Amino acid sequence: MKLLVCVSKTPETTAKISFSDNNSTFNEAGVQFIMNPYDEWYALVRALELKEAAGGTVTIINVGPAANDTVIRKGLAIGADDAIRVDSEPKSALFVAKQIAEVAKAENYDAIFLGKETIDYNGSEVGAMLAELLDVPYISFGSHLEMNGNVATIARDIEGGVEVAEVETPFVVSSSKGMAEQRIPNMRGIMMAKRKPLKVVPAVECEDFATVVSYSMPAAKSEVKMLDPENMDELVRLLHEEAKVL
Amino acid sequence: MVFEFLKAFFIFGLSKKQTIKMAEKYVSIKNIKFLLNEVFDVASLNRFEYYQDYDKEGINMSLDAAKQIGDTYLFPIYTDMDKNKAYYEDGAVKVHKGLKTAIKTLAEAGWISAHDTYENGGQQMPFVVMNAGLFVFYAANANAAAYAFLSQGASNLIQAFGTAELKSTYVPPMYAGDWQGTMALTEPQAGSSLTDITSSAEETEEGYYKIKGQKIYISGGDHEATENVVHLYLARIKGAAVGTKGISLFVVPKLRNENGRLVSNDVSTAGIFGKMGQKGYVAAHIMAGENDDCRGYLVGEPHRGLSYMFQMMNEARIATGMIANAQATAAYYAALQYATERPQGRHLSKKDPNLPQVLIIEHADVKRMLLFQKAITEGSLSLLLQCSYYADIASVSTGEEKENAHLLLELLTPIAKSYPSEMGIHSVSAGLQCLGGAGYCDDFPLEQYYRDIRVNAIYEGTTGIHGMDLLGRKVMMHSGKAVKLFMAEIQKEIVAAQSSEFLKPFADKLAERLKAIHELTMQLIQVAMNNKPEVFLADATLYLEYFGTITIAWQWLKQGIVADKALQAELPEDDYNFYQSKLHTLRYFFEYEVPKTKALHERLASSDNLTIEMKAEYFM
Ligand SMILES: Cc1cc2nc3c(=O)[nH]c(=O)nc-3n(C[C@H](O)[C@H](O)[C@H](O)COP(=O)(O)OP(=O)(O)OC[C@H]3O[C@@H](n4cnc5c(N)ncnc54)[C@H](O)[C@@H]3O)c2cc1C
Repeated sequence: MKLLVCVSKTPETTAKISFSDNNSTFNEAGVQFIMNPYDEWYALVRALELKEAAGGTVTIINVGPAANDTVIRKGLAIGADDAIRVDSEPKSALFVAKQIAEVAKAENYDAIFLGKETIDYNGSEVGAMLAELLDVPYISFGSHLEMNGNVATIARDIEGGVEVAEVETPFVVSSSKGMAEQRIPNMRGIMMAKRKPLKVVPAVECEDFATVVSYSMPAAKSEVKMLDPENMDELVRLLHEEAKVL
Repeated sequence: MVFEFLKAFFIFGLSKKQTIKMAEKYVSIKNIKFLLNEVFDVASLNRFEYYQDYDKEGINMSLDAAKQIGDTYLFPIYTDMDKNKAYYEDGAVKVHKGLKTAIKTLAEAGWISAHDTYENGGQQMPFVVMNAGLFVFYAANANAAAYAFLSQGASNLIQAFGTAELKSTYVPPMYAGDWQGTMALTEPQAGSSLTDITSSAEETEEGYYKIKGQKIYISGGDHEATENVVHLYLARIKGAAVGTKGISLFVVPKLRNENGRLVSNDVSTAGIFGKMGQKGYVAAHIMAGENDDCRGYLVGEPHRGLSYMFQMMNEARIATGMIANAQATAAYYAALQYATERPQGRHLSKKDPNLPQVLIIEHADVKRMLLFQKAITEGSLSLLLQCSYYADIASVSTGEEKENAHLLLELLTPIAKSYPSEMGIHSVSAGLQCLGGAGYCDDFPLEQYYRDIRVNAIYEGTTGIHGMDLLGRKVMMHSGKAVKLFMAEIQKEIVAAQSSEFLKPFADKLAERLKAIHELTMQLIQVAMNNKPEVFLADATLYLEYFGTITIAWQWLKQGIVADKALQAELPEDDYNFYQSKLHTLRYFFEYEVPKTKALHERLASSDNLTIEMKAEYFM
């Protein structure tokens, strides 16, 4: 099977988040980036498992600047065979989907995997757009996937239960928890990653339909007030007047 | 009713156990990367062919992978391995159920064989990178990780001195994490003094030796998480000379291979020791040859066992320093977390009880304790990586560079082993103190770190033995060449730091203390030359402490030079705080620790031979 896995980078979960340019730009300076966990733990690992079971290749693709190579190398260290980076800032979900579609059209992948969302922007858009651009079926939020010949049986968690769908290759699937188990790269993989091909291709034009106007942080948590446990009157007063829950 | 409920809720809400989370952080990858990339520039080791594949990206990725292993397989079972300790039952040693996976994961990730050649299945990883990774594992859970790295030490010995057959039989299963390696030296009458080993080996016509004897305190000596145990065992061949020159090294497996089947090799376990700490990390009492059927396979030449063992000791000693420092580091992060969450008391200038309490990290005394821990642990880590770097140069370089690195490593090994072990105990104690009563109770891990760290100053040579090794051997070897090289290394940093306004006073202070210890050393050598070895070495442990403090001051200056330079540029907040934390901790070390060397100097320079003159009978 010829598989493509879309990976993106996200800030490390403990990174301090701030914005500039009137809150319209995310400040990347000093932020540590990691591979989006849904891409890494579920999409990539399931694709690798399929390759290990039935043969084939796993290619990873990222739309981003050269700084993303570190994240791409991690994917190669975990076991992908090669990588493609579309050399451009990932301006929007549509932009990213368009770039990946452009590459995928020429390559005839049997299946394209991505994470159900990135843990920073939580867009969950690229998969559907990509499938549309390629005119192939799309299954979102897959939590289990089995291949039988060219037919995939994909389970997705839905409210209160599980939905099972069947789809023929080629298809696009976004992956959520349950799809696979996280793999930690071993030293051999890390050393081999450097020698695996990483092709850099230019971006194609893509119209922007929406512009981000601003970002804002959640309101800071107000300070905890410590009260004497004996002072119930004060507690009631605060719950009534300040917290306004009584 | 509502009031009762609210009251109960509030009292409950105020209980420490509920409001303060368990420790989450045990190591700082940012600090390790700072040391590897900015202070030591270890990627430049790829100028050597053996390390040519290591670049900064690969090194960072290795560390991140180590952290993931620590997070997933080691740290989660740290306290549980203490609560569900190893035990001996019906001749078998039971260990924590998570241990097998932990060992196997470290093996499969390539860390046990990391330094070995590609042909042997290793990754030709520089020692300095490998030890940085090991530091992460040890900080996550030394009691689990140490099993895997005992096998590494045993494998190294066989790779260095064993026959092709020994290598192919024993090394691959140890690299795979299927068999456990051990170092079996200590006997009931032979601990610090290995001269007195009595385990015996009798040559047979079949080529193997019949082994008889017992070994105590053997770490990883027996357990069910691996299929077999391979002891690297010191014994005397019958008729060999007395003393260390008569000791040989053998591979003594618990199960031996006979016609493709593993059968008993007459190695049994008399029991395991009940210990103060490291309760999940077995120390076994091993009996070999009780039924006259224990086979040992000679490693290298007869009678050279102890010298082989000692060639590997540098690694084991640095590993011990690493373990101690890793535990103290994890304890520091646990204390730091608590200090940033526990409200108690008020600022001395704002004591109004109507004001909310402040977090304890606001109190100067708590900050002092945290600074102490940070100064000890980050200073020690820098030294341990420095030594690992010398080990790399000594291993892959040639000529004078190789020889010098080897001498520096030899000189600094007793310090790299003992300083983190001894000061780590104080560091964890300070961490425990930060938690007050909670530090003493087992809802928090500090009391366990305190118990676990203690042994590092005992095994791999007690601090007393290392003090004598430093002053009695290392300082004087090659007519003091190692010390001269050491002083020249420090001098480089002193000169570099003197051009910085901030660092100059510290550089000057270090220069002054360096001169002082040099003069003291000369004075002590004079005592030795006057044929008074007892007097000369009576306070060797204090000399080690003095030398250690100077060495760590050097490492702080080294870090300070990088931080001071980095702060010249505009930095993101996190980086700014990081480098500031380095400079503040450097200040702490020079203001609070370095002055202690003056008292040590006074004592060491004194001609009062109190400990020699004190008679055993006077202790009553
Ligand atoms: C948990 C644990 C795990 C261990 N693991 C291993 C292992 O895997 N393999 C192994 O072979 N051993 C192991 N050991 C043994 C360890 O290396 C010894 O305990 C150590 O070397 C000290 O020996 P000893 O206990 O006999 O103490 P002793 O040698 O009796 O020392 C007692 C005290 O006397 C001092 N002393 C002794 N001789 C002198 C001297 N000449 N001058 C001045 N002071 C002296 C020592 O510094 C110490 O303070 C382990 C020990 C422990 C506790």
